[in-house]
Amino acid sequence: MKELVEYIAKALVDYPEQVIVEQVEGERSVILELKVAPEDMGKVIGKQGRIAKALRTVVNAAAIKENKRVMVEIIQ
Amino acid sequence: MTSIEVSAKTVEEALEKGLKQLGVKKENVQTEILSEPAQGLFKFLGSKTAKLRLTVIKDTEEYIKDFLEKIVNIIGVNGHINVVPNDEGNLHVEIKGEDLGVLIGKRGNTLNALQYLANVVLYRQFTAPNCRVLVDIENYRSKRKKTLENLARNLAQKVLRTKKELALEPMNPQERRIIHLTLKNYRDVVTSSQGEEPYRKIIISPR
Repeated sequence: MKELVEYIAKALVDYPEQVIVEQVEGERSVILELKVAPEDMGKVIGKQGRIAKALRTVVNAAAIKENKRVMVEIIQ
Repeated sequence: MTSIEVSAKTVEEALEKGLKQLGVKKENVQTEILSEPAQGLFKFLGSKTAKLRLTVIKDTEEYIKDFLEKIVNIIGVNGHINVVPNDEGNLHVEIKGEDLGVLIGKRGNTLNALQYLANVVLYRQFTAPNCRVLVDIENYRSKRKKTLENLARNLAQKVLRTKKELALEPMNPQERRIIHLTLKNYRDVVTSSQGEEPYRKIIISPR
């Protein structure tokens, strides 16, 4: 799932080399922290968070397949 | 395959110039350096320009196919992806396979998210792709269209019988459009939309 967030984020941004995803494992849930270049923040969030929402929806599909709860957080 | 030659003072400048001209991102071209800028002893005397040949290795069709294929693989389902440009030049993507429900999601949520991301990414990777991506999985969209048309007709009958207006569950704009179009020619009922996205829903009322 980390790979999925990384792949989609890299396709969305201007500076793919600055995309970092960190995985924080919880007991039943996983938090994926997505970091991008400051200039790229808007590119992964989108108008009214539309892109971020679509990204989370797709990641959730992958999570269902693995029977996990996943949260994608976009951090500065 | 499209290939161009560009020259500028430095390799980086030539690359940037060429990418702008082609309207694609670095990842979608193959770069071949034809000549390096020779710096010479003096800054301005006898300096050679950088010359590059850029070849587009992925067009929009291939890019989208690769993009969705990669996502489908990571999610871990077995989907075969076929991209066909349709009459209007839009890219029609069909994903076929078994157990693809997870890619469709509740009421097509995941499918719509995939389609949306494919479109956004297309416009990020190519400056002027001049096309849209339409994604369908195992004919979900046409099946859903039929279901919605039947639903619309049944509910219109009910409204006629009861003479009371009826609210449908929230739907996205494409689905609401199908309902509106189905009931456009019904003389005894009127359709309208109410509420704000994403909870906007259709009201069928007697005329």
